[in-house]
Amino acid sequence: MRILILLFLLLSPVSGHAADAVALDSSVFVEREVPAAGGKTKIVLEEPKVVIPGDRLVFILQYRNTGTQSAKDFVVTNPMPAPVAYQGTSDTVAQVSVDGGKTFAPLASLKVRETDGTERAARPEDVTHVRWVLREPIAAGAQGKLSFRGVVR
Amino acid sequence: MTKNIKLLATGSCLALAVFGASPALAVGTASGSTITNTVTVNFQVGGVSQTASTGSNAITVDRRVAIRVQETGTVTTSVVPGQATAVTTFTITNDTNATIDIGLTAAQLAGGTAAHGGTDNFDVTGLGVFVDSNGNGTYDAGTDTAVTYLDEVVADGVRTVFVIGGVPGTRVNGDVAGVTLQGQAREGGAAATQGTVITATAGANTAGVDTVLFDTAGVVAGDVANDGRSSDDDDFTVSAAILNVFKQSRIISDPVNGTTNPKMIPGATIEYCIVVSNGSGGASATSVNISDPLPAQTTYDSTYGIFQSGTYTGTAPSGTCNLDGTAGGTFSAGTVSGTLGTVNPGTTRTLYFRATIN
Repeated sequence: MRILILLFLLLSPVSGHAADAVALDSSVFVEREVPAAGGKTKIVLEEPKVVIPGDRLVFILQYRNTGTQSAKDFVVTNPMPAPVAYQGTSDTVAQVSVDGGKTFAPLASLKVRETDGTERAARPEDVTHVRWVLREPIAAGAQGKLSFRGVVR
Repeated sequence: MTKNIKLLATGSCLALAVFGASPALAVGTASGSTITNTVTVNFQVGGVSQTASTGSNAITVDRRVAIRVQETGTVTTSVVPGQATAVTTFTITNDTNATIDIGLTAAQLAGGTAAHGGTDNFDVTGLGVFVDSNGNGTYDAGTDTAVTYLDEVVADGVRTVFVIGGVPGTRVNGDVAGVTLQGQAREGGAAATQGTVITATAGANTAGVDTVLFDTAGVVAGDVANDGRSSDDDDFTVSAAILNVFKQSRIISDPVNGTTNPKMIPGATIEYCIVVSNGSGGASATSVNISDPLPAQTTYDSTYGIFQSGTYTGTAPSGTCNLDGTAGGTFSAGTVSGTLGTVNPGTTRTLYFRATIN
């Protein structure tokens, strides 16, 4: 596996409140079943050293308010990488989009229009974006973790 | 894996970075694709929207090598003794998320149980492997080419391969020849050249694309799971006609007694019935021709003639010639000739004529 460090270009000047910032860390793990005592298997999260189609991935997003004031209207948006099919999240506040991020709602309430015009319930693999809207302000120095699952197409 | 904390703002830009966007393949994301996950957070501080923060990481999809060799169909290939080109068909599928070469090796069983339950008891001659060059699914001699490997099979690629051989003319109904075909994943990349055997990346993760062998075990001994090989078997079963020929005779009349209790005296008329039976479970016999040289002590009865393809009741030679054939056949140079056409398995056909004792 190749490790890429992506440097995002500064497209707009940082505002004067450099201290009023939120740090984000996106990491990914591969979920594997390994033999455990008693003939059982247990599921462990591994660093994604070898990743092949069909592997189950767990994306973990960690945020921390590195500023000096609390941050509110906290919205975390994660577009699905194209080679990964969404497999759900245990975060109840998460909403998803199946239309490229235009609208967000719980998956069960979303519909997808097929090319032949028929409408069907959205499936996990239709998800294009995952979004979390946090109601509570994030106090200065506070941190949290969000996660969702995917599978390599 | 990258853990990088970004405090840099990109305004409202959601940097959706997917490098090497992969086509939708049944085998999955192409080897070498990068999966980049980018997350963005928007928030307010003190009632003022702040510039968004983003974080991302990227992983590279490795190469999952898997091939499938599968017999086409689920029944034995029926052949006849002396058949020059017996053909059985296999399908080779590349389930690897990359283009590879696939080496091919055909072999014959040496005894034991063949693919469809029969016991292998002979080898076909001139075993060969041919690729379906024109893609019509049928072996075409002179068109489909003999191969030892399949060149540059793309991800999800499917090729049809024929394993052919000749059936010795001495084989009998029910004989079985088992064959196997094994594929070996080999490196692609160089057209018209067979690449080296693909091996799994040993030891620790490397910076490049790693290789994982992902095939299932095959039927050929030693073809275990995750060894880059796949194999399947098929067999040829000889379907021959099981022909038996009998010749019955009865006295029709003699010059003294007429048709009442005739005796075998000179001048008596004899009816000969030639009975051809084809046993059940074999093949149909076609173009069944009969030639019967008459004994020198008899004279052919040309006024009665020759009758062909009559039926028979009972089991030869103890049954009854039904005398219901159609006129035909020839008599020439002391020999009666005729044809029974096709004799199907489990049926009996007759040819009959009359002669007089000299």
